[in-house]
Amino acid sequence: MTTLVVAGPVGISEHDGGRDHPERPDRLFAAMDGLRALDLEDQVVYPAVREASLEELSRVHTPAYLAELEAFCARGGGSVDPDTYARADSWTAARRAAGAGVVALEELGRLGEGIAFVPVRPPGHHATGDRAMGFCLVNNVAVAAAARAARGERVLVLDWDVHHGNGTQDIFWDDPDVLYVSTHQHPLYPGTGRPDEVGGPGAPGLVVNLPLPRGATGDVVRAAIDEFARDTIEAFRPDWVLVSCGFDAHRADPLGELALSSGDFAELACVVREFAPVPGRLALFLEGGYDLEALASSVEATLGALVGAGRRVSDPTEGGPGLEQLRAGRSARLAAIDRVHAEAAP
Amino acid sequence: MSATGTVVVGYDGSADAGSAVTWAARTALALGASLCIVHAVGLLEHGGVGGRGPVDGAAAVERACQAGLDESAVEWRVVDGDPCSALLRVTEGPEPVALLVVGSRGSGAHAGTLLGSTSLELAEHAPVPVTIVPSTFEA
Repeated sequence: MTTLVVAGPVGISEHDGGRDHPERPDRLFAAMDGLRALDLEDQVVYPAVREASLEELSRVHTPAYLAELEAFCARGGGSVDPDTYARADSWTAARRAAGAGVVALEELGRLGEGIAFVPVRPPGHHATGDRAMGFCLVNNVAVAAAARAARGERVLVLDWDVHHGNGTQDIFWDDPDVLYVSTHQHPLYPGTGRPDEVGGPGAPGLVVNLPLPRGATGDVVRAAIDEFARDTIEAFRPDWVLVSCGFDAHRADPLGELALSSGDFAELACVVREFAPVPGRLALFLEGGYDLEALASSVEATLGALVGAGRRVSDPTEGGPGLEQLRAGRSARLAAIDRVHAEAAP
Repeated sequence: MSATGTVVVGYDGSADAGSAVTWAARTALALGASLCIVHAVGLLEHGGVGGRGPVDGAAAVERACQAGLDESAVEWRVVDGDPCSALLRVTEGPEPVALLVVGSRGSGAHAGTLLGSTSLELAEHAPVPVTIVPSTFEA
């Protein structure tokens, strides 16, 4: 029996931008509905969540940005950009969301088995070291990854959200201890995530971008990881696998145009699980996912597949476009890695 | 392409952005430069949710023409991203940029703070000169 560590929900009564905003507390009710549908009972552990410390946050965000965000919220918050808001309680919510991820990995380490799910908001993967954007204030998965990297461990962050995780990429751009792999619709917000974005001179090739055209189906996303990222991941030999687990690649989501079903996320989860070196080293961080019904069914399918309690919620999808784009991207990626090596050479 | 490079102006549909377009168009005319009006499409606008509808590019181009620019010297460019990152990418792109122009407030700004202020962030990070057109400027 696989233990499921659930660090959250965080943000269920905080950071509320109103019912018109798609990134709202109802998302967490939907995610938890998906979890409850699995009827796991004693199989689930809920560790106590704490706020991330300033030391933990400062590994990925500048002190100036953190101070500005705290002060902005203390003044009552407001719009950060046309998409992103903060409220008076958002600073606390963001710190708790980031802390939940750290706690989840600590709990997995203590148990020595299981998988973790981190249902938190605001989401994180667009937040850069010094900027909030794309609904994100603090980069939750990056805070957790940096906490493990600080202990000398190697971390794979695999991001299957429909949007590229520009913040996570930026933060670990030149970090040899973190491998960032992303499948995402492109072109689409935030406009980054081309295959020739491969990492800096300190970590050439440790950013793997796998952009997909609108309409791409689950088989294409799985092929992207299996055929175009597996070699890099296996050579990297991660100690931890952290998934930026957005469910907005679902075909019903209003913010993207990929064509996945909830069954596809179950299949993806099984592919990703193979990259964890031992049991107890896989954690899924909620990012996007704005159709509440699709979010609930996708959480149910994904976690069900990982803990062996899955019911087939919907069939995986296949036949969509994208393989040609991935093949073309591989050439661009290899050329870019050569350029980075050449520029770094003495 | 003008020898002086393009004048780039950010446009989000707000009144301040409209004033910035007028100022940028007059400046481009004086420099003999072309004008590129850049609109960044965010998450909400892309999805047509959260009260964010598409921004009318034709209105921005018409405004630039009313300032004296020929329509052939005006480009309307839509890019994905948050306004700050999108404008920075344009200024860092292969086409030479002479000047970046933005309104002082826009649709999501808070005067006096770096967080939420596209204009202040651009002034700090842009690799080209930046003009911030004040909200008191009357086009």
